[in-house]
Amino acid sequence: MPKHDLSLHPPLMNAAGTLGFAPDLHSAVDWSRLGAFITNPVSLAPRTPARGQRFTVFPGGYLLHTGYPNPGLSHVIRHYASHWKRSPIPVVVHLFTRSAEELSEMVQRLEALDGVTGLEIGVTSEADADSVEALVQAASGELPVVMRLPMEGAAELAGIAIHSGATAISLAPPRGELPSLSGNLNQGRLYGPAIFPLALRMTHELSQQSIPIIAAGGVTTRQDVEAMLAAGAMAVQLDSALWRDAGYNFLA
Amino acid sequence: MEAFINAPAAAAPHAGEYLLASTPDDPSVVLGTPIFTTEQRNEGFWAAPPIPPLWKPGTRLRLAGPLGQGFSLPGGIQRLGLAALGETTARLRPVIDQFAASQTGMTLFTDLPLPQIPSSLEAYPLASLVEALDWPDFMVMDVPSERLPELRGLLHLPDRADLPCPAQVLVTMPMPCAGLARCGACAIPSRRGWKLVCEDGPVFDLRQLKW
Repeated sequence: MPKHDLSLHPPLMNAAGTLGFAPDLHSAVDWSRLGAFITNPVSLAPRTPARGQRFTVFPGGYLLHTGYPNPGLSHVIRHYASHWKRSPIPVVVHLFTRSAEELSEMVQRLEALDGVTGLEIGVTSEADADSVEALVQAASGELPVVMRLPMEGAAELAGIAIHSGATAISLAPPRGELPSLSGNLNQGRLYGPAIFPLALRMTHELSQQSIPIIAAGGVTTRQDVEAMLAAGAMAVQLDSALWRDAGYNFLA
Repeated sequence: MEAFINAPAAAAPHAGEYLLASTPDDPSVVLGTPIFTTEQRNEGFWAAPPIPPLWKPGTRLRLAGPLGQGFSLPGGIQRLGLAALGETTARLRPVIDQFAASQTGMTLFTDLPLPQIPSSLEAYPLASLVEALDWPDFMVMDVPSERLPELRGLLHLPDRADLPCPAQVLVTMPMPCAGLARCGACAIPSRRGWKLVCEDGPVFDLRQLKW
């Protein structure tokens, strides 16, 4: 059992990758509107941006393929640990790796820090039950662990993650393909209100199995948030709704 | 088409900076729109195209910003070259206006249709820039990111060669997070690592970029 609880009051948070690596205390954001801050995805080694077309619009949303660029865990800790400690709301660090050994090393370094309240572990769309179980076990320790499962595989993997020790499940954006300007197919994560019905259905399905679920995907309005909570979500993550107006609607 | 936006004078971004505009009355619009000033007035400013087709007279906008790094031109420019390779010359208009009443000679190179331009500004097709490269002592450019790699070919410059004079370039590309997340969607390579158009730009010293 983790030493710390994952309490989310209010039951609203940003999704990983939407607000940077730490709350910007100089911005106009009212951080008390969020129950927790989720950092941008962090890998053990630095990652550069994806090559090629990274952004493609479709009716009702857009496809994004950034490669989750980040300067690597050491740099992130060096630059942001003091910000996490001063954060007015709990900070959950989002980690992503396919390797349980790497994850274990990352978790140990974060457990030693004061300002980290929880971990969210990104799981790739290729992950199977064994790899999810291994990742949960590698991440389990003093901090609550949220497993961010691909929306497409969440129904199959959520129970395994919870039984292996995860505190809760969150939903990663579904992946899709769209023709690029050059005629090739672009792959990436799908965002926007077109995703909402899929995310709501998955939230409802998982909550009926008594899975602690942090809903995400296509949430655009306060009515969407209410619908997710009514469907059984313990909290709701916001993604591109924050980018639409620099966070004004939900966070000002 | 340009759009006039009623806003406090202080809200207008400087040349090359942008505002993130969203429509609070229409949540179906997925992302905000970056808008650039073309001309500032007391009661607001003209915004450069492209303007979202859903915006109509009277549409209420929420504006965030100014965002990004705009043009920062040194003093003493005698001959200013301008080049527009994107879908509009309008984003360069504040720079043109800045120098219109001065002794600085200005020449605009573009294949785009030209709106009303000051008499002090000469205009030529983009292809003419190749022969005129030695004329300016400073260049200001508006270039979509996907056209940066073809710039040297267009100017008949050898690989890795720089322009003969210093240049600042306004790079345009989708900026979905507008700097809120540093998400990486608008990353471009520079000589000192990756730079984000939304935050480190959209105006860059051309010599700092890998192009």
